[in-house]
Amino acid sequence: MEYAIQTENLVKRYSRPLNVKQRGGAFTALDEVSLQIEKGTVVGYLGPNGAGKTTTIKILAKLITPTSGRAYINGIDVTDSSQEVLRSVGMLIEVPGTYDYLTPHEMLYYFGMVHRIGKKNIDRRIEETLQLVDLLDWEHKKIGTFSTGMQRRVALAKAVLHRPEILILDEPVLGLDPKGIRDVRELIRRFKSEGMTVFLSSHLLGEVSEVCDEVIFLDKGKVIESDGMDDIAKTTVFESVKVRFSRPLTSDELESIRSIKLASSVEMTDSTVRIQLAPEPESIYQVLRELVALNFEIISYNPEGKGLEDYYISIMGN
Amino acid sequence: MITLKSDLYDIYLSLRFELTKHMRRKRLLIVGAIAILVPLLIGYLGYYASDFYTVEILASSSLGFITLLVIIAGAMFAGDAISGEIAKKTGLLLFPTPQKRFSIIAGKYIAALTATIFVVSIYYVILTIQIIHLFGAGELSIALAKSYLIAILFAGSIVSLFYFFSSLLKGTTAPSLIGFFFILMILPIFSGILMLCDIDPWFIVTTQAGLITQVFGVSGMMGEQVQLSFGSGIAVMIVYALAFFFTGAFIASRKNME
Repeated sequence: MEYAIQTENLVKRYSRPLNVKQRGGAFTALDEVSLQIEKGTVVGYLGPNGAGKTTTIKILAKLITPTSGRAYINGIDVTDSSQEVLRSVGMLIEVPGTYDYLTPHEMLYYFGMVHRIGKKNIDRRIEETLQLVDLLDWEHKKIGTFSTGMQRRVALAKAVLHRPEILILDEPVLGLDPKGIRDVRELIRRFKSEGMTVFLSSHLLGEVSEVCDEVIFLDKGKVIESDGMDDIAKTTVFESVKVRFSRPLTSDELESIRSIKLASSVEMTDSTVRIQLAPEPESIYQVLRELVALNFEIISYNPEGKGLEDYYISIMGN
Repeated sequence: MITLKSDLYDIYLSLRFELTKHMRRKRLLIVGAIAILVPLLIGYLGYYASDFYTVEILASSSLGFITLLVIIAGAMFAGDAISGEIAKKTGLLLFPTPQKRFSIIAGKYIAALTATIFVVSIYYVILTIQIIHLFGAGELSIALAKSYLIAILFAGSIVSLFYFFSSLLKGTTAPSLIGFFFILMILPIFSGILMLCDIDPWFIVTTQAGLITQVFGVSGMMGEQVQLSFGSGIAVMIVYALAFFFTGAFIASRKNME
């Protein structure tokens, strides 16, 4: 099977620390990392700061060379081939600098031409892409006047300008406001529906759990675990659920909730009720189904307890 | 053949992008303004302040500044060409693209050289107009063309030197400062020591820059005490330009963005 992204025993060793925050001498940033990302999937690459996520991505981007091992994009060895291998890839790596004195149009025009979009289509494509990242009104304004979040959107626009087959995103929502975060999530969903492969490095578990099909956990340069989100969900046991109703419930109504079989206890604050769940995987949806059947007007619900975060901690430790 | 065509196109794109950046950052405007104002000031002030003003005096006083203009332009256009992309992390946008690293850095070099040659050319155009205005078109000589040729070659060697430091060093200002220090202090001091030891410093590029004014039979800012030859001057400048460009390009193309 040809994978969109694949690495084989990737190792990156440094003889000295990369920055003053790192102490000591030689260290191993990546230790025999082997990944297999299937085409058309959205895969999360999770790990704490310094785990080696960005190092992996920089090797895929040909920005650094591995000490040993191989990395492939669409079956082509990145470490051994020309930059041409990057034609089908869009990348957003770390927090790139911006050309403050240029406008998004000027910057994207150059990168569009590098990707051979062509003079006939380039202006239309730039407009479409800026529309996608909600920056169309800023097309001809200097990037230096933009907020951090807007500059991040420009970098994201550069990554998707040529509609790549593979999109590699390194902490894409860093510096974005809640709307920006939601927009990026929607974009990833949209790209996925269009068949794009997305490799998403992040330490924000919520983001990853919302959009990914699979998650790879990395720590201290080693792959600790990789699993499908469905499989992780099966192991997820929610301890309680907070349900907000359209109005405070009466004591009779609270009693009717207490009588639900898998609800072990119930507490109410204003119009919000926390329902303690029996430790069964099906508790959450059984209780919610019962609430709907009892004709409660539910505004929102929020499961609490063992989600991806707990799964992460169970794998990585504290 | 297709690859070569594609690489040349990438070099052209990089060149255009760099020139756009030089214009937007107003660097071209600033150095261009210096290239217009300085010869006007030197030429006309000298003419009205002196009773015995000749083309040779105008050339020695005005062209004495051209070496400094080339160094300023080299620092402005090539000083942070490579190091700036790494220090400011714009390289994270620029380098992971489907074009050879060499195409990007060659385009950057050609852009820096083009911009420097452009301001040097402005300087010579102003000087030529001044000579015609003050002394008449009959006073224009082949020496001016020779001086221009040497200045262009000197620009090539200086841009290569700054480009080399930009590839070698980190930070946005360090390569420019080290470049200035090297060209304006180390090389002249070295040249002076060689002369004290009775060794002809013909192979020092800043010494050869003296040819810019010496072709008029007068001395300029650098290389005053050495009798220079036009042929060796051209050869030294071409060697500096090529050697430092290719060494810089070699370092830059192997530079990792950790």
